[in-house]
Amino acid sequence: MLESYREEIIPEKWYNIIPDLPEPLPPPLDRSKGRSSIDLLNDIVPKEILKQEFSFSRYVDIPDEVREQYIQIGRPTPLVRARNLEKRLDYRGKIFFKFEGATVTGSHKINTAIPQAYYAAQEGSSGTVTETGAGQWGTATALASSLYSLPCTVFMVRISYQQKPGRKVIMNTYGADVIPSPSDMTGSGLKFFKENTNHPGSLGIAISEAVEYAMKKNLKYMIGSVLNSAITHQSIIGLETIKQLELEGEKADSLIGCVGGGSNFSGFVFPFLNDHEDMDIIASTAEEVPKFTRGEYKYDYIDSAGILPQLRMFSLGADFVPPKIYSGGLRYHGASPSLSLLVRNGRIKAEDVSQNEVIDALKIFAGTQGIIAAPESGHAIASALRYIKANKNEKKTVVVNVSGHGLLDLGIFEGKRE
Amino acid sequence: MKDLYLYFTMGYPDMDTLERFISLINADKVNGIEIGFPSMDPKYDGPEIRKSHSSAVDPGRERMLEFLKILGMKNIPLYSLQYYSDICSDIEENLAILRESGFSGIIVPDLTTDYFKDSEKVIDHIEESGLDFIPFFSASSPDRVIARQCSLTSSWIYYGIQPSTGINMPMDMAPGVQRIRSIAGNRKMIFGFGIRNEDHVREAVRNGADGIAIGTILLKYLESNDKNGFIDLVERMRVALNDNS
Repeated sequence: MLESYREEIIPEKWYNIIPDLPEPLPPPLDRSKGRSSIDLLNDIVPKEILKQEFSFSRYVDIPDEVREQYIQIGRPTPLVRARNLEKRLDYRGKIFFKFEGATVTGSHKINTAIPQAYYAAQEGSSGTVTETGAGQWGTATALASSLYSLPCTVFMVRISYQQKPGRKVIMNTYGADVIPSPSDMTGSGLKFFKENTNHPGSLGIAISEAVEYAMKKNLKYMIGSVLNSAITHQSIIGLETIKQLELEGEKADSLIGCVGGGSNFSGFVFPFLNDHEDMDIIASTAEEVPKFTRGEYKYDYIDSAGILPQLRMFSLGADFVPPKIYSGGLRYHGASPSLSLLVRNGRIKAEDVSQNEVIDALKIFAGTQGIIAAPESGHAIASALRYIKANKNEKKTVVVNVSGHGLLDLGIFEGKRE
Repeated sequence: MKDLYLYFTMGYPDMDTLERFISLINADKVNGIEIGFPSMDPKYDGPEIRKSHSSAVDPGRERMLEFLKILGMKNIPLYSLQYYSDICSDIEENLAILRESGFSGIIVPDLTTDYFKDSEKVIDHIEESGLDFIPFFSASSPDRVIARQCSLTSSWIYYGIQPSTGINMPMDMAPGVQRIRSIAGNRKMIFGFGIRNEDHVREAVRNGADGIAIGTILLKYLESNDKNGFIDLVERMRVALNDNS
């Protein structure tokens, strides 16, 4: 009974928005003089993932084994009517939240880690490597690699490594090696490590390290966000939400989520876009990393060292070293090209939220719904509170994606900087 | 019979060599010649074609016109490949030169992706000048853009298989091609980007190509002045195209 209910909600195909965009997606740009930076992906990314990245099929079959693993890690995640919050806010509309924090790794990141590890294992890879900022992606990669018996190495941005020891323990428990970045294990890390052995690091540097390490050790590089294949896998969030709303007999008027690289937000929102032209859609970013409001829409590198191709996106510059805010997952300098395009053409609105506003929102959410949401997700909740306040009398149905729990990020409530 | 289009960069490796190779092309075997005009930033080309742009010899106006005149006498349809900023730097003059030299159409690889808002205006301008605008689509082209550009043009369609020239990423060609076919109907589709050997040709044909365009693989023959190798390659590509197995 339980299983069949779950099976009904979990989709059989992921959705890829590219064929439905209002404008063509600018392709990745290869600026290398020697070997093509697009071509080098052939060495470090599973073939099936590259196929998904470059074939742009509107629907992609989810392998049965991946669907089974989705059930094992807690999918479908709950869609909850936030009645306590509605009451607290005295809101006459409806508030729903999709809780990606209910997966076993505590965030949406496992949605793409599983298929990437699955394809890597199928293709006979000897191991995986990736980077992580806040630790959510590293945790998901570590577990997914363990599920397919693949050794896993994670380059973790040093500031997070030092201040979130719990994350490291979890990754180690799943069997992964965790290396603080910048490290002396790669050329791109060494450059910064030599300057300062206690360099706080950035996601851009950690990506360069992971990619370089993958090339050197013949490992598969796991893509955490930004690239289209990861976003396609995350469409499971939105597809489930659509089904769950349908089962409730509800229709969303507004969708709100937070943006780091763009994968939880895009995965949540994109499946809705075609059939819901009049919907309000809000992307919430950190005031300290204002990629959409102050960034430039341009071709920029994915990683600091410029090993990977350039993408056309909103960016604060690949060399951007972000302030040490709690929301490690929102510190990335850019955002995925498809999401950037939709923000630029006005279909999706973007707004920045300050850390103090996030803390207040997290407290209200915890005090009403009982969930300590991740600081990143706190941005989505804060934007939702703003939206509800501004539309108090309109009785809208607002759906918020709460991308993860914050049980390992409690420092934010004690006023500590991460 | 399927079509074979050959791409050359103007002035690469030098005008004399280029002219010698053009003279080897036989209208029985080749259905179209594309001439890429060197750009400061040929951004959607791979490293090898990019190098041909940066190392091409500038022939000067007179020599270029003379070369275009020779090209025009070959009785093979000619297409120019120019990036937006180059063609639009003096669009009237550029269109006039192409028209007078007997060109049939123009491909602007970055127009739709990077200058989407200007694209319809530029397409209209080119079509009104009597030249064909060749729509450039890829698997990532959205439905509504394909539909719109098909309604504004009537020529064949250039289908870029790979994200840039000369590279070979794993690809499931069928869904993208079928989607474009379902919108573009029976318009001729010429596949290019990343075709390097007979297997690639056969794969393109299996996936519905009406013809192929090759460029990157020609460069080495021009660079080493290997005329026999070039003739042999064109022959092999022709055979692979005709091979329906």
